Amino acid sequence: MSFISLLGVEWKKIRRSRILFILGVAAVMLWIPSILNAHLNFQMQAEGISPEHNFLMQGFLGMAWFMFPASMVVGTVLLAQTERNSHGILRMLALPVGTGKLCLAKYVILLFLAAVQMAMMVGMYYLSAGIASWIQEYEFLLDPLFVVKLAFGMYISAFPMIAFYWLLSVCIRTPIFSVGVGFASIVPSVLMINTKLWFAYPMDYPFYVVTARYGELAANLSEMETDLVPWIPVAVVFTGSCLLAAVLCFGKNERR
Amino acid sequence: MKIALEYQKIRRVGIIPGCLAGGLLASFIPVLELSVRSEQYQGLLEPPLQTILQADWQMMGMMNMLLVITIACMMYHTEYADHAIRRMTTLPVTEEELYFRKCILLSGMWAIVLVMEMLSLVFCTLHWFGGKNGAYAEFVIDLLQNFGYCFCMMLPVIAISLLVASACRNMWTSLGIDVVCVFLATMIPVKYFALSLFPFALPFQILEGAEEGTIVGYLAAAAVEILLTGAAEMIFLKVRRSFA
Repeated sequence: MSFISLLGVEWKKIRRSRILFILGVAAVMLWIPSILNAHLNFQMQAEGISPEHNFLMQGFLGMAWFMFPASMVVGTVLLAQTERNSHGILRMLALPVGTGKLCLAKYVILLFLAAVQMAMMVGMYYLSAGIASWIQEYEFLLDPLFVVKLAFGMYISAFPMIAFYWLLSVCIRTPIFSVGVGFASIVPSVLMINTKLWFAYPMDYPFYVVTARYGELAANLSEMETDLVPWIPVAVVFTGSCLLAAVLCFGKNERR
Repeated sequence: MKIALEYQKIRRVGIIPGCLAGGLLASFIPVLELSVRSEQYQGLLEPPLQTILQADWQMMGMMNMLLVITIACMMYHTEYADHAIRRMTTLPVTEEELYFRKCILLSGMWAIVLVMEMLSLVFCTLHWFGGKNGAYAEFVIDLLQNFGYCFCMMLPVIAISLLVASACRNMWTSLGIDVVCVFLATMIPVKYFALSLFPFALPFQILEGAEEGTIVGYLAAAAVEILLTGAAEMIFLKVRRSFA
């Protein structure tokens, strides 16, 4: 079975789950307070950021800090539970497909869910920015290239984090611990982005990328340096080792 | 006796160690924070308890809430996995009773977590604010009042997360709904009193530094939310049974 058709199978399994609905609700919820508080954006000019940029960045910060990592944890629960319910995993392991391939296909599906969430967020941004422009009679809409670049940067930087969550759900069979460790790892990212060792904590990458961009846009805030040299190797090694460990662990309990 | 039965069900799925680990992690936050920047708090006039809670309760409340919703989802996950709930319904036990027993059990676990956190607060107060400033006469009463208030503020979240968990047969659906609610609570601006009555925003409230009127308001809101959630669960179970 080719990798592409395996992806199709994995997608079919979660097609009927309402995960996309929950991701959509989160994207809508994100922007409603922003529309209601659109007038506050004009007060942020003291920081040297324009109201339309502030509108965008506040929403993205809210997403990157909690909702984006948390919905990825929920996604891993979804993928793990659909297999474990009625022992579906045993049937999958009986197929002539490498377990590593199966594991990686699930990781790619998780990346796909993250991409869908980003797309929903950008779409809702344009809708809400349009509404806010109409209410406040001020142009909040930004250049699509700029918005997409920001969303893409946040998305790419989330790969190590998603790999870590996937490793958790594969290796820790009791859901309370895999979910608990995942959730618990979200909270310290607020502290970690302010330290010099932020690149050592992959769960804060998306939040760091958005915060750094905010610092660049706001003239009066101090800029955070994003040195690619320790960051990219650490991220690549971390992602690789998480995925390798996940591949090795996948289905181990069932194969005994 | 019957709550012991609920405890038996969750004994082997790791909820108790998870609960203790979560409590330990949340208790660690003020210790960590104070050991890094205790000099910032030297010479403050406010009582130490207020200083610590104002600095750290946002993060601790977040941890506590995530712990509670995860445990709530797990409690019903053990029922729905492999259709254990069908066997439960053949017993002379109604689903409503199951719900209320789970509520009481989860509240008990929350109390344990809170005791751990309060012990950590006592340690922080004595270690960093020790001497005559720290161990003032009303300290114990103050601590108990805070304990009771924080306990009450979490009860609506317990009731609602169990309601959601009982409504959804898949664990991740209820987890997703709860996470969206927590997310919404973090997005609510603090200055609107009416909006801060949102059940998932209540656990971020602290007793210290609040006015008496607002405290009574929050307690009343928590009580109303618990009653409404209980009523909603009763109606929901009746409707689901009649369509089953």
